[in-house]
This record gives sequence, structure tokens and C-alpha cells, in this order.
Amino acid sequence: MTAQLYLDGVTRSFDGFKAINGLSLSVDKGELRAVIGPNGAGKTTMMDIITGKTRPDGGEVLWNMATDLTRMDEASVANLGIGRKFQKPTVFETHSVEDNIRLALKAPRGVFASLFYRSSVAEEAKVTALLDRIRLTHLRTEQAANLSHGQKQWLEIGMLLAQEPQLLLVDEPAAGMTDAETMETAELLKSIAGERTVIVVEHDMDFVRALDCRVTVLHQGSVLAEGSLDHVSAREDVIEVYLGR
Amino acid sequence: MRKLIDLRMGLFLAALFLVTVLAPVASTLQAGSTFAMPSYLIPLLGKYLCYALLAVALDLCWGYAGILSLGHGAFFALGGYAMGMHLMREIGARGVYANPELPDFMVFLGWDELPWFWYGFSSFPFAAVMALLVPGLLAFVFGWFAFRSRVSGVYLSIITQALTFALLLAFFRNEMGFGGNNGLTDFRDVLGFSLSAPSTRIALFVLTAISLAACLLIAKAITVSKAGKVLVAVRDAESRTRFMGYRVESYSVFVFTVSAMMAGLAGALYVPQVGIINPGEFAPANSIEIVVWVALGGRGTLVGAAIGALVVVALKSWLTATFPDLWLFALGGLFILVTLALPNGLLGLLDRFKPRRAKPAQEATA
Amino acid sequence: MLLRLLTLCLALMLPSLAHAQTLEELVARLPDGNFNDRAEVVNQIAATGDPRALAVLEALLEGDLEERNADGRIVIVTGSRSNQVATDVLTGEDLGAVARRSTTSIRVNNGLRRSIRSAMGVMTLRDPDPARRLAAAEAALRAPDAEQVEALAAAMAAEQVASIRQAQALAHAAAVLASDAETEAKLAAVAVVGEAPALVVQATLNAYRNVEDPALAEAVADTIADAERRQAMWGQAQNLWFGLSLGSVLLLAAIGLAITFGVMGVINLAHGELVMLGAYTTYVVQQWLRTNAPEYFGWSLAIAVPLAFLFVGAVGVAIERGIVRHLYGRPLETLLATWGVSLILQQAVRTAFGPTNREVGTPDWMSGAFQLGEMTVTWPRVAIVIFSLTVFFGLLLAMRYSAFGLQMRAVTQNRPMAANLGIRTGRVDALTFGLGAGIAGLAGVALSQIDNVSPNLGQGYIIDSFLVVVFGGVGNLWGTLAAAMGLGIANKFLEPWAGAVLGKILILIFIILFIQKRPRGLFPQRGRAAEG
Repeated sequence: MTAQLYLDGVTRSFDGFKAINGLSLSVDKGELRAVIGPNGAGKTTMMDIITGKTRPDGGEVLWNMATDLTRMDEASVANLGIGRKFQKPTVFETHSVEDNIRLALKAPRGVFASLFYRSSVAEEAKVTALLDRIRLTHLRTEQAANLSHGQKQWLEIGMLLAQEPQLLLVDEPAAGMTDAETMETAELLKSIAGERTVIVVEHDMDFVRALDCRVTVLHQGSVLAEGSLDHVSAREDVIEVYLGR
Repeated sequence: MRKLIDLRMGLFLAALFLVTVLAPVASTLQAGSTFAMPSYLIPLLGKYLCYALLAVALDLCWGYAGILSLGHGAFFALGGYAMGMHLMREIGARGVYANPELPDFMVFLGWDELPWFWYGFSSFPFAAVMALLVPGLLAFVFGWFAFRSRVSGVYLSIITQALTFALLLAFFRNEMGFGGNNGLTDFRDVLGFSLSAPSTRIALFVLTAISLAACLLIAKAITVSKAGKVLVAVRDAESRTRFMGYRVESYSVFVFTVSAMMAGLAGALYVPQVGIINPGEFAPANSIEIVVWVALGGRGTLVGAAIGALVVVALKSWLTATFPDLWLFALGGLFILVTLALPNGLLGLLDRFKPRRAKPAQEATA
Repeated sequence: MLLRLLTLCLALMLPSLAHAQTLEELVARLPDGNFNDRAEVVNQIAATGDPRALAVLEALLEGDLEERNADGRIVIVTGSRSNQVATDVLTGEDLGAVARRSTTSIRVNNGLRRSIRSAMGVMTLRDPDPARRLAAAEAALRAPDAEQVEALAAAMAAEQVASIRQAQALAHAAAVLASDAETEAKLAAVAVVGEAPALVVQATLNAYRNVEDPALAEAVADTIADAERRQAMWGQAQNLWFGLSLGSVLLLAAIGLAITFGVMGVINLAHGELVMLGAYTTYVVQQWLRTNAPEYFGWSLAIAVPLAFLFVGAVGVAIERGIVRHLYGRPLETLLATWGVSLILQQAVRTAFGPTNREVGTPDWMSGAFQLGEMTVTWPRVAIVIFSLTVFFGLLLAMRYSAFGLQMRAVTQNRPMAANLGIRTGRVDALTFGLGAGIAGLAGVALSQIDNVSPNLGQGYIIDSFLVVVFGGVGNLWGTLAAAMGLGIANKFLEPWAGAVLGKILILIFIILFIQKRPRGLFPQRGRAAEG
């Protein structure tokens, strides 16, 4: 199996502060991977680099071992099939729930394509199915601004799914969710994995445990440990990083 | 169709239609008749409609895409100059200096031949196309640079303001070849019809009304399309839109350019009815004034923008004639009132008194 | 009487003693003899050094000097042909109307006129009044006359004031060049002229570019080229100075914005009007002083500075509390509301003071200019440069070291945290905005000295000041300084090349392009937060 996402020796500093320092990471196609690490470990910067928001100072970021992601902007990266969910739920507040999903649906993204776009019956069916999956069918025509925090999280995940990406980057999806919702989210992500590749950045250890997947520990911008949750949480250095120095 | 013409749009278009039919009829009635309207009011109404069109143009890019241009007066003026140049050429040998080739101001400046950029303006279709193309091209180039570098918000507003200021200074220069300080004026006729003839004035007025209606519908069509939703999405959460794969700058440039072309059209219709175009139209303050029209009517409503323009411009006409000292107080107060108390404008105020309707016909599947 | 007769006889018989004669006697001799004799008398009159002599020669030159037929009295005849009036040339006594043909005019020809002018030049060269001596030397330089070589040399020798002696030396050199002196002397003269300002060098030497003497021609060409180089250099210095002075004006106008926009993130389009209010404060102070205490007029600016700061600052606090406070986090709305404020302020001032320019005076101690090398520096400009730098550094220090500056930075960097620490954020906001406004008021005091004080004063600065702040990098005072000076200087260096208006347009286009390339300005705020 080839790596779908391959990072090697990536560095990025902000005014001398090395947010990412020689980070190397390889995620296989269809894998579910959790990335954990204390605040400032470089998780968000890593996501920014993969999605084309931030240019690394050095190192390689390859997609399917062929495409160099460091030269692309956000839209190009997204169109390759990389979807991203923010830590803070970000939806289009003045659009209805279903329009949020419609905008995310996989379709040509050009101006004129959008201008003369007519949605097909098949696409409407997809929207309905997705709304069902994220349990927002009853709020279909509600303005997204009126949703609760947890509902926005779900909506954003739904939008991510609507994009039909090959890789999902999910930043703290469980933040602000009830325990039951958290577990549901974990199940959802697990069901997505396999068909698609999923990278989850998370703080919540219970959630990570529920994901039951390979874990990468970041610390000071590089990989500290990698393996099963039990394996990494047994390591001295990981404990030290998490419990203070 | 229901998407395009909702209740407000329908009411506004109906009212516009009524005025467009009745005003010319009233202006041709015998003086003294109950419904007679002095004929000088026709170009005045035409002028108001041009402003309404300009407001719709600004609302398209501010209300929907969040691009607050403080330089839309520049696009308006450029469209006006394109039309003014044609009207200058139509004067022909009837100018003061009776020069068949050169407009009066060029003779006065001692120029021997027409500058190259005046070529072609003797043709009406060419001038009409330029009235749209020049503002459109400027907006495209400016927008392409600005949006690609992700200049947005107040920074964009400030540089659009600088843009119109630079054009103001440039058009004041005699060397530019646009009549300098005095601008272009003393027009005689358009397409062979005298500009002072009541029938020409009525025709221009009707044409303006049709253009306003057409632009309202085009703008509405854009906003209800998926592209329009993307624009609103950009306004709400730009980075989300990018990570979804939409090239935000393309959408912004598109809407900015369309909006500038509408502003150019408004300017082109304005000049033959007002009879003059001068660099004053580029004044930064003019461009900011457009914003209050839109804000008062209600940004992001199109129809509201048009209504806001009509209300403010009518207020201006009345105040500057009766209490000239009060006008700036009123305008300044309006800016403060709208931002503090009426964030959704007059149409938003209407909504407040109405029981909330079911979600406005939310795009049934086509 | 006998004595007088005797001296008269002596004078007639012994012309060699003429130099010892009095002015009265010499004047009496003017009608006698031919033009050459008259020229001789003119020179002797000049040589008396009598202060009245100049008036005599002037009248002679004008052809107004006549001899009364009845008694030989020498009089000045003026007035129209039908109504001629005579005055005594020496005593100035009014002799009333004179009948035509009762006087005979003392005729002058061109040769004599030249002699008279030359003699007059020599006289003023020795005038007791230093200003007139200087003027005479400068006049001699403008119209070099070989005849004056000796007179100028003599004047130089007698001159006590160094600057006048320098001017005389220059005039002397010019006269030498005009004479048929030896090459040696002329080369020395060229060297003397070469020391003068470039314009003088060109005016004086240009005529000798093509002289036959090759050595002299070469020296002249070299000296002129030298002067032109010098002039070009000083021209750059002058541009630099104008640029700094314009930059200071921009800086003054922009510093207030750097606070409200840069530190608080509030777009205040009424900033220009706050500047205008500062200028009107100066006007009101001066009006009050003129009517109530004219002797303190020289202090008007010193009084206006604190008053403008407090008054305009108070207006700023009112704007913040009344309007801006409700719009935090909505920059576009703030922009529109403050624009509304600007219209109201403009109209209020127009209603109160009228639409026309108001006269704001410059205190005596600040007017005038001095010469620095090849350039003229006016005192008001110097004062503005110093004033704006003082305000700038004062603000910088206040921000860094005062308790209020600390609170201000705390609030802008982390509002909730500052609030938790017990800082009253609302008060800090109001005072910060007031500080920005107060500085705008200070700018107004300074601008009242160089710009028209009218209700539109502010509009001319608002776009420029925003561009300065944005160009320099929002939130960075040093960036504002660099941007203001950079733009001021760039503007002045572009002006001679592109013209004032085109230069301004080019700058605007440059900034528009620059902001697109680097949206965060020259000196962006550092850190990951700025990546946004």
C-alpha cells in the first residue's frame, strides 16, 4: 500500500519560533489516524501546510507520492480531494442548512459553472441522504446561524462528506459535544475510514480511544512517538510531555 | 421565475413600470391639467433612476460579496466619460470653433489632431461598448491584483478610495485629453435626436428605467444562482469556502467586474440626461455617498438599494434647494443613524414589523 | 559776502582745487561749460560725500534740473507743462509755480548719463546705510561696469561689514571681467565669482564663455560646470528637505490615525475634520489675542497647542462614547459612521465660521527664511519638522513608559485579560481615541501655518494619512514614520520629473500596487497571529 499523504522533514518557523521542525509523517490510503499533542505542538500548522494555507520553509509534502502540495493554494488542494474541518465549527451562517450542504457537494467549482448550475435529482438525493446521516433533516431550511454548537459541528462534517474527499483532516471534532455525540462522531469517522483516509487531531483521550486507531504524538513540531494508543501512552517521554516537565 | 421575481422585486418593478408609463404621459399633458407634470422633471427622474442603478451595482458587490468599494463613483464616471466622448464627437462642426474634427476644448488647447484614444468614439455602438468595457476592464485588473493578494475589508475600501482619488487628479489634467476641469459638455444630440427635445428626453428616461429593471433582474439572477451563494459564503466564511475548493478570488473578481460594468452603464445613461460630465464625479466623497444609499435601503436586498438611492437623492434635491446648510447635517446624520440604528436598512425595518414569514421561497429544486 | 566772492573767484581761477569745493559751489557750476566739464563736476559732486549729492545727481539724470534765469538758482522742476513747480535742489525749499521759459534746463547727453550713473553707484557704495551699500554692490554685480572697478576696490577697502565686502568683491570681480584688464587679473576674478551661488556664477560668467583668450574661456567653462554640479547637488538636498518637510506634514496628519486605526483598529474617517478643528482652534485663539491682548500674539501658537489637544481630544472622546463604541468589531460600519461625523463637523464649522478661508497669522519669530548653501530654508517648515518629530517621539515615549500607555497596549492585545486585571477597558478605549484625536488637533495647529484654514482642510489629508498608516504597517509607529518620510521624499523627487499632479498619481498607484503585494505594509506586525 502506498502512502496517500507523505510529509518528510517539513519545517516552518514564525519569527524564529519553529512551529514545525523536521516533521515526517506517512498516512496510508484508507487509514484512520489520530494526531495528538499538547498545545503548541504544531498540529494546526501541520494542517495549514497540508491544505496549502501556509508554505513550509523546507521539506516535502506529497500527495499519492506524486503531487507536491507545497506549491498549491487552498482551492487547488481541496480540489485534489483533501477536505478540512476547522477546530471552531465554520459554516455559512446566513445560508440554510441544506444550502450549506449543496455548496459543498462535489461539482465543478468555476465561476461560470456555478453561475449556470442546475442541481440534478441525483444531487438532491445526495443532499437528503447526507442530511439524514448528520441528523439535520428536520432543520433542513433553518439558517445555519440558528444551529447549536454541536449541530454546527455535525453540519460541517456533513459538508466535508459532501465534498467526497479522499482525505479528511478533522480538527477536534468532539469539542463542545456531549458524551453521546462524541461517541457517535467517533463511530461516524470510523465508518468513513477505509473508503477514505481520515486524520483526526484531538485532545480528548476518550475520543481517541474510541477511534481505536494508530496514534501519532507531536511535540515541539516533530513526531515524538507513533503506534497504538496503548503503546504510546506507555512511553515515558509521552507521559512527561503530557503531564508536565 | 419565482426565485427571480419575489414579492419585493415584483412590487418594485410594477411601480417602476407605472412611473415609466405615467410620467412621460403626464409630461405631455397641457399645462394646467390636473395631472400635468413639468417636462423638466423627466430628465430629473431619469437621473434618479441612474443613481438607483448605481446603487444596485454597489449592492451586488457589497451586499452579497462583502466587497465595500469606496470607488464605485469612478466606474460610474468612466462610463459617463465614454458616452460623453461620443456626444462630443456628435457636436461636430457646430462647436464654438466650428472644427469638424476636434472638440472645442482641444481647439482651445491648440491641439492639431484627435488623440488616439478618441478614435472610434464617433460611433455610438463603439462608445456604448466602451462605457461598459472600460469600467469593467479597470475593475477586472484592479480586482485581479487585489483579490489575488487577498486584500479585503477596510484595506480594500481604502485602496478603492485611492483609486478614485488618483483618477480624479488625472482627469483634472488638461493633458489627459478629457476636457480637464470643465469636463465634457455642450452636447447637442444623440443618434441624430436633439437632446433638448422632449421626445428624446422621454426616450432616454424610458431606456434608463428598462436598464434599471434589467440590471435588477441580472443582479438577482446572479445572487440566487449557486455562484451568488458562493459569494455570500465568501462573505460569511472565506477560508471555509477556499478549503471547499472554490477559488474565492475568481468569484470576487467576477462580481466586482459585473458591478463595475453596471455602474458604467448608469454613468453612460446619466450623461446625456444631465448634459455634462466632469472630474467632480470622481470625487471620493461621491463614492462614499453611494454607500449610504445602499445602507439606508438595506444592503443585500438589491431593491432596497434602489429605493435607498431614490430616497436619499430626492432628500438631497429638496434640502439643497430649501435649506442648503442642512444637507450635510442630514447626510452625516443618515450615515450615523443607519449604522447605529438600522443595520438592515429600511427594508430590514419593514421585516421587523412583519410576522416572520416562512423562509423566503428557499430555492425549490429546479 | 566778500569772502564768498573771493572763494568764488578762487574757484574759477583754480580748477585744481575743485575737490575742496562745497556742494553748493559745485552745483552752481553745473550749467557751465560743455558736457565734459559737466562730467567733471559730476564726479566732484560725488566725491564730496555730501548726503544731498545723490538727489542732485538723480534730478540731473532725469533731466529735471534747471537753472532759474532770474538769479541762476539751480532748481528741480516738476509737474505738467502748463503747471510747473520748482523746488530748490539743495534746500528742498518750495519755490512755487514757475513760468515757462523762466528756467533753462541743464542738458545731459548719453555720455554724461553714463558718468552720472557711475558716480551715483560709487556714492551709494559708500552710503552710510549698510542695506543701501549692499543693494549698490548687488546692483553693480547685476550690471558690471568696467568704469566702476576702482570705485568698487575703494569701497571694498573701506568696508567694515564682511558680508557687504563679499558682495563688493563679487561685483568688483564682475567689473574686472567687463574691463580690459590683464588675463591674470581676469582669471583671479573668475575664481572669485566661482565662489558665489550657482545662479550668480551662471549669470555673471555666461557672457564670457566664448572669449578669445583660450585660458580665460577654459577657466570660465570649468567654473560654470563646477557651479552646475554644485547646483545639482544642492538641488537634491533641496528636494530632500522639501520631502522631509512634506513627510513631517504627512506624519503629523497620520500619527493620530496610527493610534485610532493602528492601535485600536478603528477606521476614523472624521480624522481629517479633527485636524481641521485643531486649525480652527488656532484661529480662535489668535482672534481672541488680537482683540484682547495683542502684545501676546507671539505666544498664540504656544497657547493653541495645549488648547487644541484638549478640545479636539474631548471631541474625540465624545465621538468614541457616542458612536464608535457601539461599532467595535464592525470596521466597515465604523468607517461609514465616522464619515457621517466628518460631514457634520465640516458643516458645523462652515455654519459657524463661514465657508471661506480664515486668516491665521504666523508669529514674527517663526517667519522668514535663511540661506543654507544653495538653498533657502523657511522657518515655518523647520518648525513643522521639529514639531512633528517632537510629537512623534513624545507619543512613542508615552506609549512605552506611561501607565496609560501600558494599559492601552494591554487592552488592544488582550481585552478580556486586561478587563480581568481590573483595567477599565471602556475608559481606556475612550482615552485612546481621545489621544488620537488630540494629536489630530496638534496637527491642525501646525497645518494652520502652511495651509488654508477652511472647512475643507481635513479632506485633503484623510486619504494621504490612511495610505501612510497602511503603507507603514498598521499598528507600528515606526512604520508610520518611515512611510510618511518615504512618501514625502518620493513625492518631492518625482515632482520635478513628472509634475506635481502626475507625481501624486504615481505615488497613489504605487501604494495601491504595494498594498496588493504586501497587504500588511512595510513593517507588518510580527508573529503567528499576523498570519491570520
